[in-house]
Amino acid sequence: MTEKLLVLNDIRKNFGAIEALKGISFSIGKGEVVALLGDNGAGKSTLVKIISGGLQPTSGQMLFEGEEFEAKTPAEAKAAGIETVYQDLSLCTNVDVVANFFMGREITRKIAGIPFLDERAMEEITTKALTSAGTRIPSMRTKVEHLSGGQRQAIELNRFAHWGGKLLLLDEPFAALGVEQTRRGLDMIRHVASQGIGVVIITHIMQQAFQVADRIVVIRHGVVAGDVDRTKTSPDAVIEMITGQTLTGAGPVGKQ
Amino acid sequence: MTPRTRKSLESVLDNLVWFMLIVVLALFSALIPNYFQIGIFTNIIEASSVLGVMSIGLALVIIAGHMDLSVESVAALAAMAVGILFCSAGIGMGIKLSPQWLMIPASLLVACGIGALIGLFNGFLVVKLKMSAFIITLASFIWVRGIVLAVSGGRSAQDLDPAIRWFAIERVAGIPLSAWIAIACFVVFSVLMAKTPFGRHLVMIGGNETAAYRAGIRVTRNLIIAFVLAGAIAGLAGWLLAIRTSGATANLGVGLLFNAFAAVVIGGVSLKGGVGALPGVYAGVLLLSSINTAINLMGLPANYTQVIHGFLVLAAVLLDTFKQRLRQRLA
Repeated sequence: MTEKLLVLNDIRKNFGAIEALKGISFSIGKGEVVALLGDNGAGKSTLVKIISGGLQPTSGQMLFEGEEFEAKTPAEAKAAGIETVYQDLSLCTNVDVVANFFMGREITRKIAGIPFLDERAMEEITTKALTSAGTRIPSMRTKVEHLSGGQRQAIELNRFAHWGGKLLLLDEPFAALGVEQTRRGLDMIRHVASQGIGVVIITHIMQQAFQVADRIVVIRHGVVAGDVDRTKTSPDAVIEMITGQTLTGAGPVGKQ
Repeated sequence: MTPRTRKSLESVLDNLVWFMLIVVLALFSALIPNYFQIGIFTNIIEASSVLGVMSIGLALVIIAGHMDLSVESVAALAAMAVGILFCSAGIGMGIKLSPQWLMIPASLLVACGIGALIGLFNGFLVVKLKMSAFIITLASFIWVRGIVLAVSGGRSAQDLDPAIRWFAIERVAGIPLSAWIAIACFVVFSVLMAKTPFGRHLVMIGGNETAAYRAGIRVTRNLIIAFVLAGAIAGLAGWLLAIRTSGATANLGVGLLFNAFAAVVIGGVSLKGGVGALPGVYAGVLLLSSINTAINLMGLPANYTQVIHGFLVLAAVLLDTFKQRLRQRLA
């Protein structure tokens, strides 16, 4: 946990005249789970998009595994080992579970130099990954449009648990989940982190943050309003950081 | 509803067009004298080759969530180019190559190359510059036809070189080679769409472009390739058209677009994108072709064909909507 996986240094992002991020600096270690908290519009999703290549920062520097890094597209971020689960699901409902699980990284067999999809191999791996995670889906060949919100969420989470990468970004992954599925999802996050993968989870639910995170980072009005160890803080203290009543360990909120 | 009934209902919906084709053929065979003959059936296949090839390209682009209205004009321009180069009468220049068979790849290259270039132009504007596919390809539909009129001066080219004409005359199993080319295209592109990563990615882009992008699929590149392919295939359709008519006229293929459109939609491709497969499109093409043949056999005045085609397009879109609703209820 000592080695830094991702270091953000004074990341700023402007949308026209609006300053969404006014200089964000924090870091994530290997195998560390960081919960990113903040009120609506604090800039959490913008920050995640910048790390995952969906947006480019206006200024600032990112170090990924000690090297300067800036993803121009999600594909670049993915190639570097950064996976993202978005608030609105990233599934293609018009194809089946297997196709979604392997989206963009299909297993192929070359016949006469032309890549053909190896459906059987992909189905096997998908079945194994989903059943070992305890997700019940009637058939791997069901189109995703016929699955419930919870099942869809499970596919998406399992996809990342399976592919791993080096850094996992989750943007409110449990918004549509039931109690049991949420618990399983949190277990999965701990499991992912135990493999040395850094995890950043955005959530609104304080309880989840305290259940799963090692560190809690609070963003308020585009700056880091608090960066504390979970064991050294309490939900009440964090709520105060979010709403801005106190400035425990805070950056320069409001006065620049 | 049990999963099994749902599944069987779904497969009926997915393959609806094949059932329709069988029903229509059975009805026509029973009701129209002289319809039930091998000759009629081979005729249906032969008559559907140009339309079939053109529909493949249109279907690719629609499955990927876009639209290409230019295929008809592209086919006409490709046909006109082949006509001008290799016809010996009219405005044809009557170019001869030796050995003779060289004219086949040369003419194919000209036809598909022209199509691919226009496809690239469309694709670039639509995908890179994010302009509306409907408007861009509508414009191409008009300006490409304009080029056909301009280069031909409204005149026609006749007497295509026999070395190329050979494809329309030579028959295997009673079906001319040109129709076999169409069938081969359907087989190749069906495999491409169903069994390769490229096809899978196009379907996913049609279903949820954002998700595909986030998953690291190169959306822009794949979509441009789809437009280029659609153009090149339309060029091939034009090549077949030139062979069938042994030349090219300025108004060659007018009206084919809407038939192709109808075939694609009847074939089960949803205009929303992401839904449909090419075998169904071929069934749609055959269905249209059998209805045309029936109209001819019944001796209806040709003027009515257009009315019937119009209603067919309407029926196809209605069917698409109806199927979408039914699917939503099943889900």
